[in-house]
Amino acid sequence: MDVPSGFRQSSGKKKKASKSQNRPQLFEDTSVNPSSGFQQTDAYYPPQHHDPMAMQGGGYGMPQNQFPGQQYMNDPMANMAVQYGTSLAGQGKEMMNKNLEKYVSASKIKYYFAVDTAYVGKKLALLTFPFTHSDWSIRYNEDEPIAPRYDHNAPDLYIPVMAFVTYILTAGFVLGTQDRFTPEQLGIQASSALVWIIIEVLAMTLSLYVMNMNTELKYLDTLAYCGYKYVGMIMSLLAGLLLKNNGYYSVLLWYSLCIVFFLIRTLRVKILPHQHDGFTSGSKRSLYLILTISVVQPLMMWWLTSHIMFQTKK
Amino acid sequence: MAVLNPLKSADHTIMQDTDLAGPLVFCLAFGASLMLSGKLHFGYIYGIGVVGCLAMYMLLNLMSMTGVSVGCITSVLGYCLLPMIVLSFFSVIMSLQGIVGMVFTIATVLWCSISASKLFVSALAMDKQQLLVAYPCALVYGVFALLTVF
Repeated sequence: MDVPSGFRQSSGKKKKASKSQNRPQLFEDTSVNPSSGFQQTDAYYPPQHHDPMAMQGGGYGMPQNQFPGQQYMNDPMANMAVQYGTSLAGQGKEMMNKNLEKYVSASKIKYYFAVDTAYVGKKLALLTFPFTHSDWSIRYNEDEPIAPRYDHNAPDLYIPVMAFVTYILTAGFVLGTQDRFTPEQLGIQASSALVWIIIEVLAMTLSLYVMNMNTELKYLDTLAYCGYKYVGMIMSLLAGLLLKNNGYYSVLLWYSLCIVFFLIRTLRVKILPHQHDGFTSGSKRSLYLILTISVVQPLMMWWLTSHIMFQTKK
Repeated sequence: MAVLNPLKSADHTIMQDTDLAGPLVFCLAFGASLMLSGKLHFGYIYGIGVVGCLAMYMLLNLMSMTGVSVGCITSVLGYCLLPMIVLSFFSVIMSLQGIVGMVFTIATVLWCSISASKLFVSALAMDKQQLLVAYPCALVYGVFALLTVF
């Protein structure tokens, strides 16, 4: 076994060298005389380092009349390689799945998409006119997030995702009516809006963390709340299309008021009640934070829509 | 034929034979008819088709209790592209940028998305969510319409 193991080390697979000693026990005797086969092919190994399989197949060719692929699989080293490869691939996939579960777990995200038409209708009405809604609390059961299907106050991710995509398409449409549309524009708008959303979510999460508040606001909730303003932006873009400048500004103003109100009410329910540790300054801080977040939203709405409505006069 | 009649309800066995040849033919026909009006957009059609199918795959897997496969979604979306081909043939004859053209485009997009969502809902047994499924389909077909009109 000297030459084969030496050959294997030169090809860099050390594991196979340790396993190659078990070769006779692992495999059925499918060749006519395996030991003599090995002695025969040993002589081939030193000169041809780069093509061992073909040579070995050639060495085995005489005693069997199976097709070359089968001979390839009879070679123990090839078998070992296949098994090693599949086990490695399986392990890699498991590891990746496990790591991915921590951040983007599919079961948690499914909660946010379990919506039905009634919920979506009510939520859109709420975003358009939140002033008459009185009860903003969210019912939790046993500390797990509740599906939006059953509780109209719970955040969902369906509306923000749809609103984001619709915003990009509406922007493309408006640009088309101004003769500024090319399909590359869609990509440009999409990537810039995506970057802004990521910045917002990061800023919100970071400020919550820095202010040392224990809230139950996960980052998916934050994503949902940041995405609700896209509904307002779409409406203002459409109004601007129909009614020119006045329509655009008035609808923008209306939806800014609505989203400020909506966010203040919702975040007050989520952030404030958890300050039971008696810090009154803590509750004031959280109030300031809520106000800041809510006021930043209209600014973002204006910023992201103005360069679509008007030709860049800068 | 389930595609061409958006008002009749479809049965759920229609999704069990999925083929990709029909959608491919439809995409090529769409590209050919766009070419007749001077826009060479084959690459965009392919790209938008792939992105749209992937997006619908993710969304439908998240929204439904049972999962779907990509082949299923591709075949449904591709077959429901048929009215869009009719629209692009019309765009060769008359420009779609006036009011009549806009109405026509919106009607076509609605037709495509209602039939696609009807097929999806009947196959995946999602109750009360047809409008929610129709909206993303409408978005995908809206992008195709954007390609046709502008």
